[in-house]
Amino acid sequence: MPRSDSAVLPIAHVVLRILIVVNWMGGAAILALLTATIVAESWTMTALGITPASGIPAMLMGLRSIAALGLIGVPLNDLVLRRLVAIVGTVRRGDPFVAANALRLQAIAWTLLALQLLSMAIGAVGKAISTPQNPVALDAGFSINGWLAVLLTFILARIFAEGARMRDDLEGTV
Amino acid sequence: MAIAVKLDDLLHDRRMTLTGLAERVGITIVNLSILKTGKARAIRFSTLEAICAALACQPGDILEFLPDAAEEAEAA
Repeated sequence: MPRSDSAVLPIAHVVLRILIVVNWMGGAAILALLTATIVAESWTMTALGITPASGIPAMLMGLRSIAALGLIGVPLNDLVLRRLVAIVGTVRRGDPFVAANALRLQAIAWTLLALQLLSMAIGAVGKAISTPQNPVALDAGFSINGWLAVLLTFILARIFAEGARMRDDLEGTV
Repeated sequence: MAIAVKLDDLLHDRRMTLTGLAERVGITIVNLSILKTGKARAIRFSTLEAICAALACQPGDILEFLPDAAEEAEAA
């Protein structure tokens, strides 16, 4: 194995672990803000410096919906990241072509599909509540790259399933 | 499995050890041991050729089909 490759995997492992924590921290922040806008709406608006004249309070239900949809994405992201950690672990052990990884990749592909649908829903809500006075610019909606990633992951899962089967065949060959 | 590997008998006849055969055919002892004990699921033609050359025998001298074992395997 080339030396550069051997450094990539430990780095990937650490980065994925950090992303798992960051994902949940982001989720906690969204949940805190969402709860604050429901439990103490006027206090939160004042704390954020939002005045009734700004027109933002009228968009509040839509913004809450976006936050709630964003919260659904947190466990989905976690599912993808944890499966990637497991896959990286098998690559580090030098045994990536196993049936478990094919199933993990398939689960990731379905989750990415769900995340794309979620992103489109968030994008649609953002577009619906956006006004010329308060434009809502979200990094959400239909994404060719996102759907391509879904397709590629499904294909990769199939490749891993075939690879695992071929490897199983070869294992007892002398 | 209905295919029996008679490597043990051949080695005995040729007064050769598994280690000696491994050195002559260029296959690890571990793999030869897997073959000898009947745990292998497949054998490459190149392996068969190397063993036949080293032991001066035919593939049929190494492998044997056991119909009774095949019937038992089908019943199980």
